[in-house]
Amino acid sequence: MRKLEEEPETYDSKFTSLTKGVNVNVHSWVLDQIQSDQSILEIGSGTGSLASKMVSKGNIVVAIDNNIEMINYAKQKYSDTLENGTLLYRLGSFTDLPVEKRSLDLIVSTFLLSELRPLEQQIFLRNAWKALKPDGRLILAAEFIPSGFWKVSFKIKRWWFKKKLRRLRLKSTFLVKWFFNYIEPIGFKIGNQKKWKHGSIQAIELLKINDNGEEEPDYYRPKTKKFKGLVSQLRIYRCLFTGQIDRVPIEPGIYQSGNPSSKSPIIVTANYDYTYIKLMRDLQGIDAWVLCLDSNGINVWCAARGDDFGNKQLLEAIESTDVQVVSEKKTLILPQLSAGGVAKPQLPEKFPFKVKFGPVWSKDLKQFLSERPIRKPDSMKLAKFTFSHRVRAGITHTTFLFRKIFLIPIIAILLSFIALNNVAIIWWLGELVIWIILSNVIISIFFPLSKFTRKFIVKAVFFGCFSIFFIGAISWIFHSSYLYLLLNFAIYFWITFFSTMSFSGYTMSTSPKEIQAEYPVFRKINLTLIILVVILLGINIIFFILNIIN
Amino acid sequence: MTESNKNSCCSDGTDTVQNILSVLDIRILINEPLCTGCGLCGELCPFGLPKPSDNGKYEIKNPELCTECSACQRNCPTSAIIMREHVGCGCLWNARQQAKSKGNSCNCS
Repeated sequence: MRKLEEEPETYDSKFTSLTKGVNVNVHSWVLDQIQSDQSILEIGSGTGSLASKMVSKGNIVVAIDNNIEMINYAKQKYSDTLENGTLLYRLGSFTDLPVEKRSLDLIVSTFLLSELRPLEQQIFLRNAWKALKPDGRLILAAEFIPSGFWKVSFKIKRWWFKKKLRRLRLKSTFLVKWFFNYIEPIGFKIGNQKKWKHGSIQAIELLKINDNGEEEPDYYRPKTKKFKGLVSQLRIYRCLFTGQIDRVPIEPGIYQSGNPSSKSPIIVTANYDYTYIKLMRDLQGIDAWVLCLDSNGINVWCAARGDDFGNKQLLEAIESTDVQVVSEKKTLILPQLSAGGVAKPQLPEKFPFKVKFGPVWSKDLKQFLSERPIRKPDSMKLAKFTFSHRVRAGITHTTFLFRKIFLIPIIAILLSFIALNNVAIIWWLGELVIWIILSNVIISIFFPLSKFTRKFIVKAVFFGCFSIFFIGAISWIFHSSYLYLLLNFAIYFWITFFSTMSFSGYTMSTSPKEIQAEYPVFRKINLTLIILVVILLGINIIFFILNIIN
Repeated sequence: MTESNKNSCCSDGTDTVQNILSVLDIRILINEPLCTGCGLCGELCPFGLPKPSDNGKYEIKNPELCTECSACQRNCPTSAIIMREHVGCGCLWNARQQAKSKGNSCNCS
């Protein structure tokens, strides 16, 4: 949708074809819900067509959008309606509504919600609540996940759509996942509801409730998530086995460790499931407020290096949660590794908290909280790539390689061998899988041996040679054949070479500049090796068919 | 609801400093007159590179070990740290993405 917004002239027609005409039905449904003589605010008015229709029903409408081109386009297109003074287009956003408190009968917003992140959706609801009269209404239309059987086909379509967007380097919209949880706590109840396309597009009418004359609506807080027991252990394994590929977000917001009071410290972290569980386990026995920012289901270090754990996420979490109310403490304790994203001096002047960076690892938090050192000891602040980290990184990396790199080749080889009706070669394939796993075991255990250089290509060649001897020796035990070794040593080398290069992201001490400079060289070596491996693979197959080796 | 899609590489006058840094191949540097010796950088660096020097100020001991995570530069209260920040993380697949999108990511001539 962001792509479409670049050209206001074609936005309407392109959007209609994207939603297969549903947006027209949505607009007419919304118009059916509106009587006359009401003061209406439209948030995210786009090309302004809905706003002008609402005016022609006899209402006073203010339409805002944060895209100046859209506003100019709308002003031009509907210039005749503007003259009555009942329609106003202006630049604005949901974060700061240009209206008085409790002044509106109705707020309308179509297809904006899916552009907002979970905490932004809460800010949106809260601001809407503040702007509405006690009997006011909010009408929303957005993309949702359909229920039941349709969920499956929707997910497949969505997966395909996301792949396409990634190829085009476009960001996709967020699915409105937890939105229905927010409605009641913040102070709305669902009135009318209409679904299209099995619920993948919905329009909802929300009625304002709980207006006791207070300034602020209530806050939403996610349900406590378990961090002990079998299920959470399985969640940990899930993260270990899908890391680097899958984002596993939990609901962002405030969680409690123990029974925190207004004197308890506030600890900030990412909303990755693994991070949450580890942190909560390490905090056991300590009463604290845990604020999970919306880092998009990514761990702290990677999120800070991307754009997922920074000032924006921090500010948004402070605004949408009651963290200022629950604790008297005016210090936020952030993970040290988030400093690559959070910039203290750039925070606004009226930022209500002091920001303090805690230890790197959550296991040191207990000690940090009790001692509050001005200068942290080295054990707390240095990111060491220890053996246990390497083992976990090795597991994640192996699953990553199988899923993203070797899955298709392995299936292709398997199918061609089934076609050739040769059982012996399936053994060879089984060995290949073991070699891939073994390569990663070698890398993760012996990684410190390659400390003599920072260049990953050199490390990769080092481990490649290492594995020719190591895997070659094991393979000799199975086959006792020089010919077999001769045909396969390049494959052993390539697997380990490739794995070492791909392992670079896990080591923490790799610099993006260095790895980006090494990439073109890696690409050349890798292509050469792949050609060599494919040729050897062909010879292997011929030998297998001729039964020279087995 | 578009956000500003400005590329960080098309930014203002800091470019000159950055270019000089890249020509001299200096990864990171503390501008000594600006440093107040507060020691925050030493607390933030995951590799412990900033170390106090004899005059109470800080200096980067092993700049070749720096991974350009920008933690110290972002949080330095007097902006005394000069470094060339690199888009991306240390992952090979990220490097691949960067190499692919190099042609169209920066529109400035």
